[in-house]
Amino acid sequence: MAIPASGLMTREWPDPVPARIGFEEWAELFETIPDELIQRFHYFPPNQEQWSLYLFPPQTFAIYGCRHLRRLKFDNSLAALRMWGFVQNETERLFRARQTGRHVVACMGDLGALPVIVNSFPGCVAFYPDCIWWTPFVMESQVLFDAAAEQGIPEATCFSRAALGAFAKHSYFPDPDLVIAATGASCDDYSGVEQLAARHAREMLWVESPLRRSCGGVEPPTVEFLVSEYRRVVERLERLTGHRLSEEELRRGVARANRVRQAVAQLRQLAYGAGVLPALEMMVIEFGNLHFYSDIGEWTAVVEHLLVTARARADAGQRVVAEDALRIVWVTPPADPLLLCYLEDRGGRVVGTEFVINQALAPIDETKPGLEAIACSFMAASLIGTSRQRAELVLRQASERNAEGVLISGILGGSHCAMEARLIADRVKAELDLPVLEFDVAKPGAEIDRQTRTRIDAFLELLRSRR
Amino acid sequence: MKDILTPRERFGLLVIDEEQDRVPVFPLVTGHAARAAGAALRDYYTDGRVMARSQLAAQERYGTDFISLFSEVGLVAEALGSRYSYPEDDLPILEQPRWSSLSEVPAESALFDSAGRLNVYLDAASYAYEARGDTVPILAYVPAPFTTAQQLVDPEAFLLGLVEDAAGVWRVLELSTRAVVGFCRQLIRAGALPILVDPLASGSVISVEHYREFALPAEAEVIRYLHRYDLDVVLHICGDTTGLVGAMAESGADLLSIDRIGLDAAIAQVGDRLRIIGNMDTTALWLSTPVEIAAETARMVETGRRNPKGYVAATGCEVPLATPEENIRAFVKAAKEAGRNDNFAAGRKR
Repeated sequence: MAIPASGLMTREWPDPVPARIGFEEWAELFETIPDELIQRFHYFPPNQEQWSLYLFPPQTFAIYGCRHLRRLKFDNSLAALRMWGFVQNETERLFRARQTGRHVVACMGDLGALPVIVNSFPGCVAFYPDCIWWTPFVMESQVLFDAAAEQGIPEATCFSRAALGAFAKHSYFPDPDLVIAATGASCDDYSGVEQLAARHAREMLWVESPLRRSCGGVEPPTVEFLVSEYRRVVERLERLTGHRLSEEELRRGVARANRVRQAVAQLRQLAYGAGVLPALEMMVIEFGNLHFYSDIGEWTAVVEHLLVTARARADAGQRVVAEDALRIVWVTPPADPLLLCYLEDRGGRVVGTEFVINQALAPIDETKPGLEAIACSFMAASLIGTSRQRAELVLRQASERNAEGVLISGILGGSHCAMEARLIADRVKAELDLPVLEFDVAKPGAEIDRQTRTRIDAFLELLRSRR
Repeated sequence: MKDILTPRERFGLLVIDEEQDRVPVFPLVTGHAARAAGAALRDYYTDGRVMARSQLAAQERYGTDFISLFSEVGLVAEALGSRYSYPEDDLPILEQPRWSSLSEVPAESALFDSAGRLNVYLDAASYAYEARGDTVPILAYVPAPFTTAQQLVDPEAFLLGLVEDAAGVWRVLELSTRAVVGFCRQLIRAGALPILVDPLASGSVISVEHYREFALPAEAEVIRYLHRYDLDVVLHICGDTTGLVGAMAESGADLLSIDRIGLDAAIAQVGDRLRIIGNMDTTALWLSTPVEIAAETARMVETGRRNPKGYVAATGCEVPLATPEENIRAFVKAAKEAGRNDNFAAGRKR
């Protein structure tokens, strides 16, 4: 797995002065990228088929329906372009995985642990249908929500219901060879989605996510239970693939996942500390820790390319968000990515996140046996404990980064969001005396609704007045 | 039976070699859309909003799988300096090519004299994309460099030049290629997928040798540009392309849209490499009865769906302006029924 040589990249296509740029500006910039560079990047390396190229600009994906891309702002580096191209063609990549004989395994609900096991099997590709929740927003479309409604999930449910629509459509990912669905101490809306998705699955394996009782440390009985659940996953995958997984293979799988997690941890430090990457790119990067966008090898190269870029910017004192921008910790991932752009356009910057994927950000202890190590890392999960525990994650980042405010973007109909936001907000106000903005993300559309814009503007104005 | 997929989802699967819920259906409803929407034809090709609204109305009315932005092949040539008249109820007519002979063509020429009606297409693309871009592919037909060149120079002088003045032909082709690429660049930004049409390179107009020498390299140049964006490129040449179809495949196109050629023959020649779009006879579509059209369409689809790389049920050329609506409906209904894939929802096996 080669780390991109930044010097080589610089010679072929030197990154412009770091900036957030719009759709039209990327179109202009892409015209200057040489053909040789476009031909260099393939997914599923060492494969060199033309269909596996992915260094394409937002215009490509807009033509195929991703209408929201025309309104977003993007980082202008080659590494960011590479990242966007790679992420945007994941649907095609999953179908190509199937066409080239790989086993496609859908993981649902646990957000980070199961793909580490799946990817340890040779020829297996893990993905999360959960991440389809962004698709209606990126396409500015109701199609998947309508499809979910036909399957029995009404409008007043979390946007993650789009995943059910995608199962029914058979066109956003190939019908998985196996679906591994985590439920239990997890999002109950999504558990409902999983139950209905079972109608479309060839094989469904249910895995119980246990409740975490304490606020830190590892609870041996819970870890033991999780390990037993993961053993069932391994057994089912062994039946699927006809391959007996060795401890050594599992450890290598853990090490591969850790390599990405470590790079992302450094990117978080650089981006949230020194402002070298925009919040939108960082959200995409953080969520890459879940399933590596269905190709862990190439995603590792993409992330390490981003890291090279971020370090170079930090060394040169270059930033993409102003140093004096208002420092915000963002809680719960915004289903509408335009919100992150808007915050930065209006003079804010993200310095910390709690996107309910803490379990995917934590490093995995490579000194422990594989399944135990994965189980221990899952104990850091955002959703398996109390709201008080989740609030701790927010408080810690807000303190470390000297945040000036906390923004919680909720999900209309998402039950834990409605219950949890106020509890987190109360603790932030009580313990750090920071203003908190809570709002529910509106349904997909061409722009942010006026009420939300006004609330963000007023919130930033309040933070400014406190300086 | 209700469709499972939107047209965009269906096209998305086609271009990555996956089965769809049914064959995509694509009567080339272009200027006819104005009739269907009750708009004056001249308004259709001079006002982007009228073009878009007409296309959106036609797509909804007939239940087709694509929006087809097009009026005629003079579009780029007009922006390069050729003059057209605009009859109220007919398509633009070439009044005066920019040059009367190849010898007048300078070695270097500025790209666009004016935008001409290019902005009409760009407006139409933006409008249609905003309205339905999430569910329906927006196709914008772009006249290829060879066809454009024949609208820039007196057509007779140009065709004689193929034999007598290859250098002069290439001067025009280089200019028109640059212009076509430039227009494609704008369409891409507007959200439209350019589809390359080269009717004046048809076997009904030039020889295979001239196609290979002049039209093909220019098509390939435009397609190379579109492939930089990973776009799936349709190449449409109407008329008789029996002798051309193998050469057309060398252009790099991903989908070939064919007209007066046996579907079986086209599949035999290029079906292992390319998706095929075609090829209902448009005169038959205009003049036959709905019952006859349905029967012929079903036969066509049965043949077409045997193409290993995939198939789109289409007309061979543009739907004639005066085609009765019930005939188009008969075509679409029959194509959908004959092209249905009953195994799709049951789950595709490895």
